[in-house]
Amino acid sequence: MLDEFKFTLKRMRKSPLSIVGIVIVSFFVVIAILAPVLAPPVDPRDPYAIFHDGYGPTPRPPGSPILDSFILSTGWKVHYFGTAEGQLDIYYGCIWGARTAFRIGVLVVAISLVAGLVLGSISGYFGGVIDEILMRFTDIILAFPGLILAMALVIALPRLWPIEFGVIGIVAASFIVPMVIGFFYPKLRGKRAVILGFAIVVAFAIPYVYVLGSPPIYTIALDLNSLDKVLIALALVGWPGYTRVIRGEILRIKQEDYVEAARAIGASDIRIIVRHILPNAIYPVVIMASLDIGSTVLLAAALSFLGIGSPLGYSDWGQMISYARNWVWTGFENPWQFWYTFIIPGVFIFIFVLGWNLLGDAFRDILDPTLRRK
Amino acid sequence: MGLAEFVVRRIILVLPTLMGVVLLIFAVTQLFTPEQRATLYITSEKQMRDIDAVIAQYRLRDPVFVQFVGWFGQLLQGNLGYSRTGNGPVLSVLLRKMPATVELVLFSVPIVILLGIYLGIYSAVNRDKPVDHVTRTVSIIGYSLPTFWLGIMLIAIFFSGLGLFPPERLGSQAFQYVYLSGKWNPYSGLMIIDGFLNGQLWIVVDALKHLVLPTITLVTIQIALILRVMRSSMLESLGKGYITTAKSKGLTDKEVINKHARRNALIPTMTVAGLLTAGLLTGVTITETVFNIDGIGRWAATAAGGGGTVPDVPAVLGFSLFAGIVYVVANLVVDILYAYVDPRIRLG
Repeated sequence: MLDEFKFTLKRMRKSPLSIVGIVIVSFFVVIAILAPVLAPPVDPRDPYAIFHDGYGPTPRPPGSPILDSFILSTGWKVHYFGTAEGQLDIYYGCIWGARTAFRIGVLVVAISLVAGLVLGSISGYFGGVIDEILMRFTDIILAFPGLILAMALVIALPRLWPIEFGVIGIVAASFIVPMVIGFFYPKLRGKRAVILGFAIVVAFAIPYVYVLGSPPIYTIALDLNSLDKVLIALALVGWPGYTRVIRGEILRIKQEDYVEAARAIGASDIRIIVRHILPNAIYPVVIMASLDIGSTVLLAAALSFLGIGSPLGYSDWGQMISYARNWVWTGFENPWQFWYTFIIPGVFIFIFVLGWNLLGDAFRDILDPTLRRK
Repeated sequence: MGLAEFVVRRIILVLPTLMGVVLLIFAVTQLFTPEQRATLYITSEKQMRDIDAVIAQYRLRDPVFVQFVGWFGQLLQGNLGYSRTGNGPVLSVLLRKMPATVELVLFSVPIVILLGIYLGIYSAVNRDKPVDHVTRTVSIIGYSLPTFWLGIMLIAIFFSGLGLFPPERLGSQAFQYVYLSGKWNPYSGLMIIDGFLNGQLWIVVDALKHLVLPTITLVTIQIALILRVMRSSMLESLGKGYITTAKSKGLTDKEVINKHARRNALIPTMTVAGLLTAGLLTGVTITETVFNIDGIGRWAATAAGGGGTVPDVPAVLGFSLFAGIVYVVANLVVDILYAYVDPRIRLG
């Protein structure tokens, strides 16, 4: 893997486009990290809410002075990029929007990637019925265009999620009990410990659910805002792709001699997967992830544009463009009068996604086995 | 295995996936409360006042599998629920709004496929020359543009700025004639065809003008995918032994590219056609919303509750189910065509 990494770096230095990609992505990382310095929040309790200078409907051009005395008292003097509908400050939204974009892109991809790693490994390594069920399940999710399924999920996900500590306990116990058994009784490690542990958990869980019921004291409600729903929906749509790629890689690597060798010296299944298979399987998946961050941000922006993304007034580029739409339609005499409302946030999304795509594209060319090392 | 056997086998294999698509949509309905689920069947205000009766009639509080049997029975009868935003049963709204979308798709798909294949070949043949770099950069840019933003920019430039290509489906005069004058016979629902059949050429011209910008938007977003796949499969094909043979026989470059390399390179490109369908379904949702075209995409977007209104659940679920089925069927067709073109698939 280290050799692969060095090889990638060497090739990347030769490709100008990938350098542009790296520069763009680093630029946005800096913006996101420095957001509180570049745009100090007016309300520190809720930094993602774009501050608004009054409620007037008509956008004002870049450089307009701020009128609200409270905002003036926090050190803001002018609207650098002007204001959108409702006097929302465009500069503030664009800067904090970088954080939102990273949060959506990185979190969604990370969740999908981890789910894909776990499920893909199980599916590819053990095969059989589990594999069949998981693959049919991915088939079903992949049978929908991503945006449309995400749209249905966003409107269907409930806002309040009661968290049952009892249920969490059961889930946690089904991981911990087999580990404890394996620790104290090494002979039972592996499959037997899992089965035994599961039996113990079920034996305790059934009386808990059916006899004790669920005492309300153990339940708290998790309140999701609409952006959290977008995150969950996009992750639910995203994991099957990773699962399939990882499964494919594992099926390929499982046949290699070194895996046979590890099995011959008696390494456990988990050890073989984690130490021998995954390090060799993970590389193409990481590339896929870097390409996916851009497209995930685009999907989230599209949902925001359709009005089912982030909450109103949230620092989110897609939503800022959707406000601007009315000002293109109505600007008959001078369509560019309100250019700052749609061009500035649009350029931010475009450059951000372009950066990730250039990076991913360079990676892909480097890794494409039919084109490499010629 | 003959082609017929292959087709039958594929169709049988697709049925479980289709059933899965239906089950997933049903699972989504279970995320709602029984009261919300009742809105699937409410068509009048009178029923609205007595939601409990609706819940009882459709057994919405019963165990999941009882509900599924009821829901699936309704589905088989074509009852996908009642759409508030479409003012009618979901299925009939879907059919009513389909022509506008079909018109858009009919214009953009051939352009995407032909232009994408042409540019992909051109790029591959001139690998690493300036032309290749320009084509690839343009395609990456197209891939990174938010569809809705591109649409807005096009409206600002070509409509608001130059006054050339208006959004929406028809101009106000044509709209008057088609929907209000009573002289219009809707044969197919496609303005282009109906315009000819009604002998009203000016409506055809008007409809074409309105299609320019949405088509450009859809094509820009879609073309990157085909171009990229065509380029890489052409590169692979150009490196094969039979190309060297063809060249050493003394064939011209043109003959080698058109007769030997291109045919084989087209096969992998076909698989992407399935993905293209998914892209189109997504694309029309955004494009129709931006350009205010009254097709199924904009209907779904409105139904999802843009602007903080209450979502029209039956419409969104009905549209998702439709999109899932279209996508599965499109992939089936691609598979069959693939086997038809490439004997290795069906014989292997």
